[in-house]
Amino acid sequence: MAYSEKVVDHYNNPRNVGSFKKDEKGVGTGMVGAPECGDVMKLQIKVEGERIVDAKFKTFGCGSAIASSSLATEWLKGKTIDEAQTIKNTDIVQELNLPPVKIHCSVLAEDAIKAALADYKKKAETETK
Amino acid sequence: MDQTQNTSNKRTELQMARSMCWHCQSEVTGEYYCGQCVKVQPLSKEMDYFTCLGLPRLLAIDTAALEAKYYELSRTFHPDFFQSKTEPEQQISLGNSALLNTAYHMLKDPVQRAEYLLKLEAGSAKDIRNSPPADLFEEILELQEDLEAFRSASGDAKETDQYRSKLLVDRAQLEQRRQDMDTKLAGLFTKWDTIQNRAPQPDALRPQKDDVLKEMRELLSNRTYLRNILNDVVAAMEGGHADRRH
Repeated sequence: MAYSEKVVDHYNNPRNVGSFKKDEKGVGTGMVGAPECGDVMKLQIKVEGERIVDAKFKTFGCGSAIASSSLATEWLKGKTIDEAQTIKNTDIVQELNLPPVKIHCSVLAEDAIKAALADYKKKAETETK
Repeated sequence: MDQTQNTSNKRTELQMARSMCWHCQSEVTGEYYCGQCVKVQPLSKEMDYFTCLGLPRLLAIDTAALEAKYYELSRTFHPDFFQSKTEPEQQISLGNSALLNTAYHMLKDPVQRAEYLLKLEAGSAKDIRNSPPADLFEEILELQEDLEAFRSASGDAKETDQYRSKLLVDRAQLEQRRQDMDTKLAGLFTKWDTIQNRAPQPDALRPQKDDVLKEMRELLSNRTYLRNILNDVVAAMEGGHADRRH
């Protein structure tokens, strides 16, 4: 299958690959997988105040899954928690020109964002208690 | 929708008997041919693969019987036998053969068979993401990091050996776990078949059926994750990257 130029770009030069320490203050971790293809995605955000100051990911899967998570980390940086909550998989599909068979990769990325945000919120709550 | 569900456990003939012959418009009474004009009849596109191959919706299947039925139907529909027939008959022969091939290949492999049954029985079950197996994910990410280190250490013989021996242990352990999963899967097959034999009607014993299906969904998903990491480990040790099938 031919990947779009943007997918190839993210695949060859993935942005923000890496990880933070899970228990570091302000770090939210989302780990999700796609049972259909066995892809695994880990996406982390680092929050200061109300704003996401950094984001990192590690994805083991196909080019579209890597590109989707790479793009997601780019979008997350600088956003507030509330803004990040509004990122939809359809935005990723549009930006990367994903074909129908690869839409689940973008869903995976959205799930990872949601999971990371939820993890951050949960941690923040217990920290203030 | 209801029609296909209700007939799914009956014989193929019944499903076909509802239709009229495309050629002479009389009611089709034969299995694959019209009783009046003897023209070949198209298999219904809604026909599920079990019905297509004359099998009940069970998971432990006799592969020899499956193969025999497949060969029998292949001969019935093979396009070679329709070369001298009319254009519509040739098209039907092609269509039926294609459906038959897909059905056979899907049901031949136990894992694909189970995936297919899940799709038939639970429809959207695949979309329901059950809580991801966090432990397994952590493990996979760690293993992937080891793999990366192994790949990039290719210049240093001593370091490579160290990683290699660690990966050998990991590989054996992963293979063992896959075997354990396959044993468990076989157990679920038996469980499903027992319930299905007792209550073949789609709605009967639904909660029990759904429990088995849910357990199977989880097992098959974890098996896919495990298979991928195992493939990656094997590929790294034998040089080169794993070829992901997508």
